[in-house]
Amino acid sequence: MDLLNVKDITVTYGRNPRPTIEHFSLDMKEGEIVSIVGESGSGKTTVIRAILGLLPGGGKVDQGDILFQGQSLLNLKKEQWRELRGSQISMIFQDSGAMINPIRRIGDQFVEYIRTHQKMSRKEAWNKGVEMLEKMRLPSGDTIMRNYPFQLSGGMRQRVGIAMSMTFQPKLLLADEPTSALDVTTQAQIVRQFMELRESYGTAMIVVTHNIGVAAYMADKLIVMQYGKVVDAGTRDEVMNNPASEYTKNLLAAVPEMGGKRYV
Amino acid sequence: MSERENLFSETAGGVPPVIMEARHVTKKFTTAGGRPLLACSDVSLQVRKGQTLGIVGESGCGKSSFVKMIVQMYPPTEGEIIYNGKDITKFKGEELRQCRRKIQMVFQDPAAAFHPKMKIMDIVTEPLLNFRLIKKSEKEAKAKELLRMVDLPEDFVYRFPHNMSGGQRQRVGIARALALEPEIIVCDEATSALDVSVQDRVIELLVKLQKEKGISFVFICHDMALIQSFAHQVAVMYLGNIVEVLPGSEVAANAKHPYTQAMLGAIFSTKMDFTKKIESIESEAPSPADVPPGCPFQNRCDRCMEICRTQKPKLTEIGPGHQAACHAL
Repeated sequence: MDLLNVKDITVTYGRNPRPTIEHFSLDMKEGEIVSIVGESGSGKTTVIRAILGLLPGGGKVDQGDILFQGQSLLNLKKEQWRELRGSQISMIFQDSGAMINPIRRIGDQFVEYIRTHQKMSRKEAWNKGVEMLEKMRLPSGDTIMRNYPFQLSGGMRQRVGIAMSMTFQPKLLLADEPTSALDVTTQAQIVRQFMELRESYGTAMIVVTHNIGVAAYMADKLIVMQYGKVVDAGTRDEVMNNPASEYTKNLLAAVPEMGGKRYV
Repeated sequence: MSERENLFSETAGGVPPVIMEARHVTKKFTTAGGRPLLACSDVSLQVRKGQTLGIVGESGCGKSSFVKMIVQMYPPTEGEIIYNGKDITKFKGEELRQCRRKIQMVFQDPAAAFHPKMKIMDIVTEPLLNFRLIKKSEKEAKAKELLRMVDLPEDFVYRFPHNMSGGQRQRVGIARALALEPEIIVCDEATSALDVSVQDRVIELLVKLQKEKGISFVFICHDMALIQSFAHQVAVMYLGNIVEVLPGSEVAANAKHPYTQAMLGAIFSTKMDFTKKIESIESEAPSPADVPPGCPFQNRCDRCMEICRTQKPKLTEIGPGHQAACHAL
């Protein structure tokens, strides 16, 4: 059985008659990494928000179905979502620091998160948090638990976000531009960390990014979107070496390369 | 004075003359806790006529602080910036105002750089009206002319910034910077907020304008692959220090400094070998508020030696047009 099947979904927002994504399909096995690339407004973030049932502002899936381990996600009740989110499916945002309450310490929120999902004493939850932070190569997890988000660098905040989302070893991790706010050297570190997650936990991932290099490096399967439609999909090598659409060809040609095209 | 005049009239071997030179520019800030923060340490760089100087580095390396001194948003703590034979950091009043005409800026976020309730026509002609170079009645014609220069349709003059895409807005930003016919345009991450295909066209536009009008660009960027594709000179900054300066065409093959190489190793390319593990230095840069003595890069460098911990390496010539600050070279 596949881990996730997205079957021909169409998503519209509010009264806007034009769908934001049209006829999007995706099948994922356990431990597979799928990258979705596209330029701003292409609907790539909408896809993962639809999967997690977090479409904002009147967005809804009009057509099709989303199955997670064979179970439809479209009509889940609040309690059912609570079982699933954060433990079976987690999400990482562009800047995890911005998703954490700025006036509460990391540890405070980490403990709350753990105790929402599992019966555990504060002390145990704290230790679990420290353990997760240190697994994500953050030195002195205890100090970080006592820090506020603003005291950490962008790379550290992103590691905190990854540590939190991996606490319950979810089967599926959704990452929305997880490295876009980071410097190049930090970006490489975080990408490496994601690859290690799959090796050690077998986590499947959907990575949404506009950085085609990062997407291709991480992905088993690659999806290229434009104006809410899939213009190219296939294994990484298929899409990178033999893109079917003109759009993907142009997109690949526009990426600046070391020692490549020179403008002057 | 004679030495300066020589410098600015020199055109040796087809190399365009230097029109602006930063000499030993240092900028110190005081942090909220009262501790000193060294944003730029002894930065010396040259801008040549009709050429692009790219400055590349990670966040907090002082690249924005440096260009803010070029556009005179604040003066350096030490050092001078020579433009047309004069130290512009000493300018005041009308002299300063007139100098600003010649050095313009394009910002990173084009949505935040304009007044949201001004029409494009007013945005691009405001600098001209401020300097009384046109009459109000000429505004519309001039605005259309400026938009044509940046390949935007003329009827955009009646639009508001929010009715345009990011790439179109950035073109308006460039049109506004062009309005006063400056000699130098400073671009602070001017394409970072744009999609790659839009970025491609904006860079093409900048290069076209440079060739037509002989404008010099100072272009800040964190994307090494982008900057080396159109900059004549690339300066790599790390924790307030220039660690390497080299021609853009040589970055791919000839970059020598360990930090530059670390940055190159961390680039994800569409043509890379995807099965190979990505290289990257594991640690993070120290805070610019506590830079260690000696080489700023010492604690992340795999070629660090004893001398690196005590003595700061000086930027020295290691090839034609190629300087680096490293004891190991």
